[in-house]
Amino acid sequence: MASYMNQAEVDPTQLLKGVLDLAVLAVLGEADSYGYDVVRRLRENGLDHVGDASVYGTLRRLYQAGALNSYVVPSEEGPHRKYYGLNNRGRKALDQSAQTWVSLSKALNHLLNGRSNGHGK
Amino acid sequence: MASNDQAEEVATYAAAVRAALSNLPTDQSEVLLEDLEDHLREVAAEAEGPLAERLGPPEQYAEELRTAYGAASAGGKRAEPAFRDLRRAIDWVTASAWYRQVRAFLPELRPAWWVLRAYLLVLAITVAFSPSYNIRPIPNPFSSRGVLEIIVMGIAIVISVRLGRRNRPLAKGRRALAIAGNILIALIAVPALASMGTSGTFAMVESGGSGQPIQGQQLYTPNGAVTNIYPYSRDGKPLTDVLLYDQDGRPLTLDSKTGDVTTDYPVGADGQPITNAYPLHQRHLSGDPVAAPRVALPPWHAQSPTVSPTPSPTTSPR
Repeated sequence: MASYMNQAEVDPTQLLKGVLDLAVLAVLGEADSYGYDVVRRLRENGLDHVGDASVYGTLRRLYQAGALNSYVVPSEEGPHRKYYGLNNRGRKALDQSAQTWVSLSKALNHLLNGRSNGHGK
Repeated sequence: MASNDQAEEVATYAAAVRAALSNLPTDQSEVLLEDLEDHLREVAAEAEGPLAERLGPPEQYAEELRTAYGAASAGGKRAEPAFRDLRRAIDWVTASAWYRQVRAFLPELRPAWWVLRAYLLVLAITVAFSPSYNIRPIPNPFSSRGVLEIIVMGIAIVISVRLGRRNRPLAKGRRALAIAGNILIALIAVPALASMGTSGTFAMVESGGSGQPIQGQQLYTPNGAVTNIYPYSRDGKPLTDVLLYDQDGRPLTLDSKTGDVTTDYPVGADGQPITNAYPLHQRHLSGDPVAAPRVALPPWHAQSPTVSPTPSPTTSPR
């Protein structure tokens, strides 16, 4: 299952996994949305590697954790859609995770820049 | 046609995903797979080519779903080979269109069950506490007992519906307890309903019991006291539940305390025993029913020309 361990290269889906919660929260922070739409919006924003099932599982988990509210919207054509939106807890989680991400990415960028600078000279 | 193929593809794919997640606890898989079909349908409607091309094989989809949800590993226990066919059969059934229609319809019946379970529970309790009571589908509103039953049923229905309408999901343990309770009500209601069928008109009141004794006349013939009356029709068929009245229109009731027999009287719709329905249902003290006597039926004149004209023997044989 975890055959990634043997590979030297970092699998983009593995990297994505850690931040998928944040990405989903961010999408829902813009507007309430249903599963398929969340997937689409993530891809539109350049997260090509995100899997449908991962997004669905994440939505379910965040909902179970009490970060989302949910309601069903009947659609004229096709199936009814289960919309998710952030509640107070979700908004708080989004804010905190965003801060964590900013500091983490800053640190990582710094590391990577230092490496490329070091090699570049 | 294309949409039909699509529906089938969605059903097949969904069944495979469910199969792959079959060893998750049901509460987890329920949450995870709740609107799987809806999602697959959207994907199928938009994307070209087969679902598996866009989403990967169903097993991988299931694994991804499970990992993202953070559920317990599905890798450990694989289904036993013996159960695999069964599992496959179940998946085939659950993927079928009629199953999904029934499944989708069942939740609409919930409110009906909330009312029914309250009714059944009160019924079962009534039977349990008074086995000899003449239980009826609708309690008799003219007896104090029936009124009490109706009031209790009303209260039970209100409570049951309020419990059912509570939309806060129950904790895991409580949920199991609630399901078990519902099943239990359905099971104990079976004997209650069965007894209702048999004792519609013949819930018996014992004359010698704690209730007031039936007051009746002592009828005497030159051969001794009359303890029972056995009516027969003209053609010799024994009749049952024949109501007898005297010359003044009073029910003809025999004294029930004669001899070594006890008499069971049928109970009317008003809850009162019917004491002049003959022959009386009598039992010996040992519990054996009193056997009907052998009777010599009189030979009637074979007249009655209007009813059944005897076929004429003079009809031409040709």
